Amino acid sequence: MSTKSNEVLLSLEDICKYFKVSGGTLKAVDHVSFEIHKGETMGLVGESGCGKSTLGRVAMGIYPPTSGKLSYKGKAVNLKHGSDRFNYSKVAQIIFQDPYASLDPRMTVSSIIEEGMVIHNMYDEKRRKERVYELLEMVGLNREHANRFPHEFSGGQRQRIGIARALAIEPEFIVCDEPISALDVSIQSQVINLLSDLQDRLGLTYLFIAHDLNIVKYISDRIAVMYLGNVVELASSDELYKNTLHPYSKALLSAVPIPDPNEEAQKKRIIISGDVPSPINTPKGCNFAGRCPQVCDQCKESKPKLQEITPGHFVACHLVQPQKK
Amino acid sequence: MAKDTKKVVLDVNDLHVSFDTYAGEVKAVRGVTFTLHEGEVLAIVGESGCGKSVTAQTVMKLNPMPPARIPQGEVHLGEHDIVKASEKEMQTLRGKEVSMIFQDPMTCLNPTKPVGKQIVEAIRHHRKLSTAEAKAEAIKYLKMVNIPNAEERAKQYPHEFSGGMRQRAMIAMALSCNPKVLIADEPTTALDVTIQAQIMDLLAEIKEETDTAIILITHDLGVVAGMADRVAVMYAGKIVETGSVEDIFYRNAHPYTQALLKSLPSVDADKTERLVSIAGTPPDLLNPPHGCGFAARCKRCMKICQEEQPPEFTVGEGHVASCWLLHPDCPSPEERGEKDVD
Ligand SMILES: Nc1ncnc2c1ncn2[C@@H]1O[C@H](COP(=O)(O)OP(=O)(O)OP(=O)(O)O)[C@@H](O)[C@H]1O
Ligand SMILES: Nc1ncnc2c1ncn2[C@@H]1O[C@H](COP(=O)(O)OP(=O)(O)OP(=O)(O)O)[C@@H](O)[C@H]1O
Ligand code: SF4
Ligand code: SF4
Ligand SMILES: [Mg+2]
Ligand SMILES: [Mg+2]
Repeated sequence: MSTKSNEVLLSLEDICKYFKVSGGTLKAVDHVSFEIHKGETMGLVGESGCGKSTLGRVAMGIYPPTSGKLSYKGKAVNLKHGSDRFNYSKVAQIIFQDPYASLDPRMTVSSIIEEGMVIHNMYDEKRRKERVYELLEMVGLNREHANRFPHEFSGGQRQRIGIARALAIEPEFIVCDEPISALDVSIQSQVINLLSDLQDRLGLTYLFIAHDLNIVKYISDRIAVMYLGNVVELASSDELYKNTLHPYSKALLSAVPIPDPNEEAQKKRIIISGDVPSPINTPKGCNFAGRCPQVCDQCKESKPKLQEITPGHFVACHLVQPQKK
Repeated sequence: MAKDTKKVVLDVNDLHVSFDTYAGEVKAVRGVTFTLHEGEVLAIVGESGCGKSVTAQTVMKLNPMPPARIPQGEVHLGEHDIVKASEKEMQTLRGKEVSMIFQDPMTCLNPTKPVGKQIVEAIRHHRKLSTAEAKAEAIKYLKMVNIPNAEERAKQYPHEFSGGMRQRAMIAMALSCNPKVLIADEPTTALDVTIQAQIMDLLAEIKEETDTAIILITHDLGVVAGMADRVAVMYAGKIVETGSVEDIFYRNAHPYTQALLKSLPSVDADKTERLVSIAGTPPDLLNPPHGCGFAARCKRCMKICQEEQPPEFTVGEGHVASCWLLHPDCPSPEERGEKDVD
């Protein structure tokens, strides 16, 4: 899906997001830069805990970055500024990863979906109610669900309530933080088709975070692979799958389970052993060095920088260098 | 596979579970029957909201009653009759006979206690061991789930673990009392594929080494293909098809199973193609239909489907499906005047 244009909608420049924790400073996102074009879907994948949700929350204006600059349509978004934040919340929305924690248990489904429209003073009350029903049906629930409470729903049903809530205010940019991982494949397809249709119709732009790499490949124009706070590879989705260059991306793609018992039994996986190092004391060299099957001396000494290897294909690894003509 | 010679560890028969809500009775589980043998992995797949988690929670009696109740059906865990068991009996069974791992590990880890201590407490609740012995056991299980530096890590709190490590710590806790049945409800949904692969390898190892039977609830059909011995497909509170993993992937007979598998995006799906999904929505379980639960969305629905619930028909050895199309008197597709239903 794509209605991609050349207009830069969102730009992240050298974004860092650090958390103060008991053991020191936790570098959840460390010097990340990329741009998202209007109408584009940017996929974001990587190991659990590598900073995807944190980056998504920075892009969405929930977390002010520790350093670095977030701009929307060429203008800096200053999240410390109340009116900037309010205006940004009208154009940028998030579908949260956790369907259990992200819905207020005391509100009915209808008031959860309606809330954003009320805050932003959209439509009259009658029309808002109609929209709640439309949105419920759009995400594959039915209008009878409107007056129930979140705990009466299964995980996947709650996830769809979150999707309806995000769509309600007709945003331009949506951070989709694992919007489909709790859904069965048919509803996954339904939600993906819905997101595609909305993109085609309204020119929406998505930052799409997911673990299901088949879906990410299908939906994204470009994909960024993160590891421990850094982007380690960024390319168009076809290029990333056809010509995977970073050792971590290779391991990640080889681990995708195949929905076919015979093929699955024969699949070869690149097994990466060891645990992710702590984001509190990141190593001096490459963050992946402790687990990388191709690690060499240089890797432990210096951090590789994200470089453009071929046009549009960026990699941060000492072993992968641009071809010199 | 010599499944028949293995002992049945869990026997669920015609289980119904309802929730009494102010809007009425939500019939979440409407007659579920299955058996689980020692050392077997049974995957339960199906539409979101079809009753997988409620079924699993009922086996452990974890759903609060009320609002939940069991109007009908039996659950036998070894010799224990779960439906009749008191909460006190359940407390001795949970952990020892049956354990559960959840999508969100924080639902069973206490954020205010070191991880090791929690496992020690779980062990001492069921096994007569000294604190020192229980500690050694806890570390053994943490090592078994590949937590590096287990001795040191055991002293840390859950929030100091990454998501994947927390998941593994929860598995260690679930295993520490050698349960006969392990229920894993979307154990890897929140994890990336490399950690998912590690956890699946771990579950496979456990099954080999301890003969623990595993119920695996997941939406990831790739995980099912790699892990499961048998698969039960659920729709609207019922199991509509059960068979070996090959039966379900290669010889499936129920229209819902077929539609579910067709919804999988292929690895090289073209972005211009739309993904296949099943049109319509599942029935509202406040007013479940009289006939087949899938009738409103089934492309091959017949008159009888709307009137009467299809019974179970045998498709092959160990392979059953509940669909009127399998009735011996059912006319063939040509006779029904069906063209290509796809
Ligand atoms: N509010 C916070 N305070 C302290 N640490 C945090 C906070 N939020 C996130 N972190 C830490 O930041 C790191 C990145 O977390 P984040 O949730 O962004 O990861 P993720 O890539 O989304 O992982 P997953 O795939 O498991 O959702 C983790 O180590 C996490 O523990
Ligand atoms: N406390 C409750 N009150 C009323 N209805 C409930 C309650 N808990 C669950 N339900 C209903 O029971 C049905 C089955 O829920 P369950 O959680 O078992 O679904 P599931 O198959 O696990 O779905 P998912 O794949 O989305 O996790 C759902 O339709 C849900 O709305
Ligand atoms: S820089 Fe070295 S350790 Fe890092 S990914 Fe490349 S080869 Fe591996
Ligand atoms: S019983 Fe009828 S409606 Fe139900 S799945 Fe079979 S053909 Fe379709
Ligand atoms: Mg996240
Ligand atoms: Mg569930």
